[in-house]
Amino acid sequence: MDKKYGVYICTGCGIGDVLDMEDLVDVPDEEGINCTTHACLCGKEGAALIQKDVDDGKVNALVIGACSRRVNFDVFKYDNCIVERVNLREGVVWPHSREKYPALTEDQKDDEEHFDQIQMKAEDYLKMGMIRVEKVELPVPFKTETFSKKILVLGGGITGISAALDAAKIGFEVTIVEKQAKLGGYAANMRSQMPVVEPFEELIPTVIDEKLAEIAQYPNIQVKTATEVARIAGQPGEFTVTFKTPGQKIPFDVPFPLPEEMTMDEKGDELDAETLHAKYLEFNEGKNDILQLDPEGELYGAVILAAGWRTDTLEGDAYTHLGLDLPDVITNDEFEKIAAKGKILRPSDGKEAKSVVFIQSPGKDEDDADFPYCGSVTSQVALKQAKYVRNDYADGKAYIIYQHMRTPGLQENFYKSMQQDNGIFMTKGAVTQVSKNGDDLTVEASNTLLGDAIDIKADLVVVSAGMVPVTVDDPIINLAYRQGPGFRDNDIFGGYADSNYICFPYETQRTGVYAAGAIRRAMTIEESMEDATGAALKAIQCIESADRGVAVHPRSGDMTYPDFFFQRCTQCKRCTVECPFGALDDDEKGTPKINPTRCRRCGTCMGACPERIISFADYSIDSIGSQIKAIGVPSEDDYDEPPYRILALVCENDAYPALDMVGMNRIDYSPDVRLIPVRCLGSVNSIWIKDALAQGMDGVILIGCKHGDDYQCHFMKGSELAEVRANKMGDALASLALEEERVRFEEIAIDEYDKLPGLLSDFVEEIEGLGPNPFKGF
Amino acid sequence: MSEKYLVQPDLAYIDELEGLGADTLKKCFQCATCSVACPIAPEDSPFPRKEMIAASWGLKDKLQCSGDIWLCHECGDCSDLCPRGARPGDVLSAIRYSAIKEYSQPKFLANAVEDPKKLPLLIAIPGLWFALLAFITMTAGETMTKIFHTIGIEWSHGGHGIAQANFFSTWFVDLTFIPLSICVAVVFGLSLKRFVIDIHENAVAEGKTDKKTIDIKALLQALVSIIPVVLKHDKFNECEANQDRATAHMMVLYSFIGLAVVTGIFCVVLYVFHIPGPYSQLNPVKWLGNISGAALVIGSLLMIKNRLAKKDQVSAYKDWYILGVVLSLGLTGLLTEMTRLAGYAEVTYFLYWLHLIAIFNLFAFLPFSKMAHLVYRTTAMAYAEYGNRK
Repeated sequence: MDKKYGVYICTGCGIGDVLDMEDLVDVPDEEGINCTTHACLCGKEGAALIQKDVDDGKVNALVIGACSRRVNFDVFKYDNCIVERVNLREGVVWPHSREKYPALTEDQKDDEEHFDQIQMKAEDYLKMGMIRVEKVELPVPFKTETFSKKILVLGGGITGISAALDAAKIGFEVTIVEKQAKLGGYAANMRSQMPVVEPFEELIPTVIDEKLAEIAQYPNIQVKTATEVARIAGQPGEFTVTFKTPGQKIPFDVPFPLPEEMTMDEKGDELDAETLHAKYLEFNEGKNDILQLDPEGELYGAVILAAGWRTDTLEGDAYTHLGLDLPDVITNDEFEKIAAKGKILRPSDGKEAKSVVFIQSPGKDEDDADFPYCGSVTSQVALKQAKYVRNDYADGKAYIIYQHMRTPGLQENFYKSMQQDNGIFMTKGAVTQVSKNGDDLTVEASNTLLGDAIDIKADLVVVSAGMVPVTVDDPIINLAYRQGPGFRDNDIFGGYADSNYICFPYETQRTGVYAAGAIRRAMTIEESMEDATGAALKAIQCIESADRGVAVHPRSGDMTYPDFFFQRCTQCKRCTVECPFGALDDDEKGTPKINPTRCRRCGTCMGACPERIISFADYSIDSIGSQIKAIGVPSEDDYDEPPYRILALVCENDAYPALDMVGMNRIDYSPDVRLIPVRCLGSVNSIWIKDALAQGMDGVILIGCKHGDDYQCHFMKGSELAEVRANKMGDALASLALEEERVRFEEIAIDEYDKLPGLLSDFVEEIEGLGPNPFKGF
Repeated sequence: MSEKYLVQPDLAYIDELEGLGADTLKKCFQCATCSVACPIAPEDSPFPRKEMIAASWGLKDKLQCSGDIWLCHECGDCSDLCPRGARPGDVLSAIRYSAIKEYSQPKFLANAVEDPKKLPLLIAIPGLWFALLAFITMTAGETMTKIFHTIGIEWSHGGHGIAQANFFSTWFVDLTFIPLSICVAVVFGLSLKRFVIDIHENAVAEGKTDKKTIDIKALLQALVSIIPVVLKHDKFNECEANQDRATAHMMVLYSFIGLAVVTGIFCVVLYVFHIPGPYSQLNPVKWLGNISGAALVIGSLLMIKNRLAKKDQVSAYKDWYILGVVLSLGLTGLLTEMTRLAGYAEVTYFLYWLHLIAIFNLFAFLPFSKMAHLVYRTTAMAYAEYGNRK
């Protein structure tokens, strides 16, 4: 691309009033770049002015000094052009006022005592914008060698069937894989399901039969029962899938990474790479390497993970008081199976169970916790099963002892109707003992609404076992990825196939694999069906995005992808290991293999690479590094007391918009801070920090998203890795004789914008306490 | 705290309460707004929240013998504020009526009083009885005089002109009502014995008292001490929503007391001093009688009006029955007197007959009707005082 540069500066929204426009225009003028100013660039006239220059072929690399890139992005959009938005409004003139930082008089301009902090910031930002358009390239979309638009659905229960139907209705080819001999899943073994229509008072037959009949009408749905996935290799758009009969051992079974205890020697030290590899090969003997594609494999574009749940096994000391070994103490799952067969008869002697106690939490007197993996669904199941007792026996009595009764949405109406039933008895309480009493059982409970200690006689006791997502036991998806066949660090999601339940539903930690139904959260049939639609749409979005060569999520539409300069790769594998999404594989030598359609374009690999060989077309070590170098660092040669210079590398997802809000709210912070938005803190390479300090900047602050159990990082691991890397900077700084306090890591959520000015001021104050960087002026 | 309690829900009991106007009892979700709202609930295990869950679980054993249900004066604050429309006030009222039925013997009478279909029978039996006695009075005056003379007693108390005694012998009235009163007293006595033992046991089991045993003397002292509370309607007035009802209720209570005093004086004067009625309108005893009669009519009419006006309160047959009895008692009494003074002999005699039927209904069915609250509530209040219910 032959770049033709042009700078456009808007003087509206206070920019022209606060800044010395002549001085600002001098910046591009000195570089010989044409600069145009206008009172309202985003207005009709202003936009037409730029558009005309683009249409006339005068510019294709534009620097627009106006508002934040987070607004008017639809106005300043030009095909086949590189556009850089310089944030003069939210970033410069809005947070910093002339009342606080008066403009310089003509005399002051030339002395060595006075300087204009606002003008300095604006000029730095303009320079940074200009260098960026020089350093970046227009991206070219990635195309896979082969491409399939078929959707693979793992699991033939209500969720899988619904997802398959939804995708098939839009016209996609779908394959449902079910381990069992027939479709239907758990729903096919139930007596009834919760009501789905007004007045939400009566149970209804499950909809599964209807759905099964519907499947037969779609020739584009292929069903593979008694089948499981041996491995899914490749990447979205070209997943190569090997099927097998459950239990079978085949060469294309996915290899597993070494268990942690096997990666160490007797002393507990890490084994060297070669031994590790040998052990890995031994561990996976008879299995083909992940990079070897199955020639017989079938090609799919995306995967819907609807493998569902299993009932929890309740055992151990915590439950001994519940009498789980007694024949008439059963789980809700066993109860459902009895109910599906006919009247509720108890297992021990076949007697009619007319007095049934449903226990919703372990009780004792420890806390009010429910059984693991219990929630609103198990609450509703208890209500439903209590209804069975009442439907079967006019004189039946059903007791529900709960710590939490959760009936979301309109199911509250079902709860209310159950409350109205004279034979339903509900109380909050802790069950302290279940014991045999003659032919019957006695349930003892404390802390109930009826008093401190009550006994209930029961024919049958039903314990609420939770719905455990099958991903707790097994990788299920069997991905032929170097990071392993399943989801990594899935414990923080309780084993559910999830990445961020609130922000990114259906997204798992693996691009192209979309979870729905009870594998994502315990769900009712109705909820699972709705969830299936969401996952089906995500799968389609993924296929269509991959087909166009753009990112699907969360940088939807991003055409860039990591590019490796392999000549300099040292095969350290850091990129492969640190990628939060397992997008990179490596060969036996350790050379990374990029799978662009798996990639979410966070740049974590770029931040990880010690050789700095990874870059994106519009985002690279050089582009950001050059921006940093463009920041003016005044020294004592320039002023008697030169201002400090602080670099802030700011996550564009939460922290950068929060800083815009600071500007919108006209809250001042130190104008000596220079912000550079980054895709994710994970993409921050330590060379940027070193360079900044080496050129005399006084401190570097990294502002990213929260990490940990309730992380808010859009790329899951990015901010966490950034903190680790920032902490490791200490030694490097020490070798430069710099204090480690000069580099700080901070977390901020988008709604905490009000904390930012204080946070920045604190840091600046601390740096001022340390004194100026001794490298200033070298 | 308390002992272990075996929960035994009684589905029939829930049905029964629902039939007695507590059809909303299952709506309760135990938020306890009612107990907070109640101006007279004690601080320790306050009602009516615990009564609500016990009722919705059909725990007859817990409720029938609870003294707490009687401490409620049914102001309806709880029902007004209940977020679920469970109407705890009406539920407690139903529980109390069910308890009355439980404690009163014989059972068939309790069932008859509860059943609207049996109402004609409840009217017909005393009706026929008094008709028979009136017939004897009117037709066999001489024979009766002779019979009475043999034992040396004057048969007729009737003077000349119109006197109810000429229509219906005073002897017959008293020979009907005195044994009847004794029966009622015995029934109450037996019921109360069980009642006191039960509420004490319940209070001990639920930790609502600091007493271990029942000390009859102390209990009676407590009874004496709460009489001014009852007379002044202190508790009744603590229920703010009750202030308009308190006037009506007080009028009825005091008119009954007034009428009882008049009847007592009349008896003494008749049998000791042999002076028969009717008294002159200038007689202060007559004034008291007249005022009481008027108060009874006005009071019961006000109560009926209040019930009709209160749309959020459910009124069941049990409520209308007793209000009907009280109103007809007062009305027939006053009209009997007025028609007598007006000189309509047949009319006044007929009204007197109706009056007797009403009195009979009130007296004979006192232990079985809602009116029994007079005895149970007073006893429960006395027990609460005795047992230090706080």
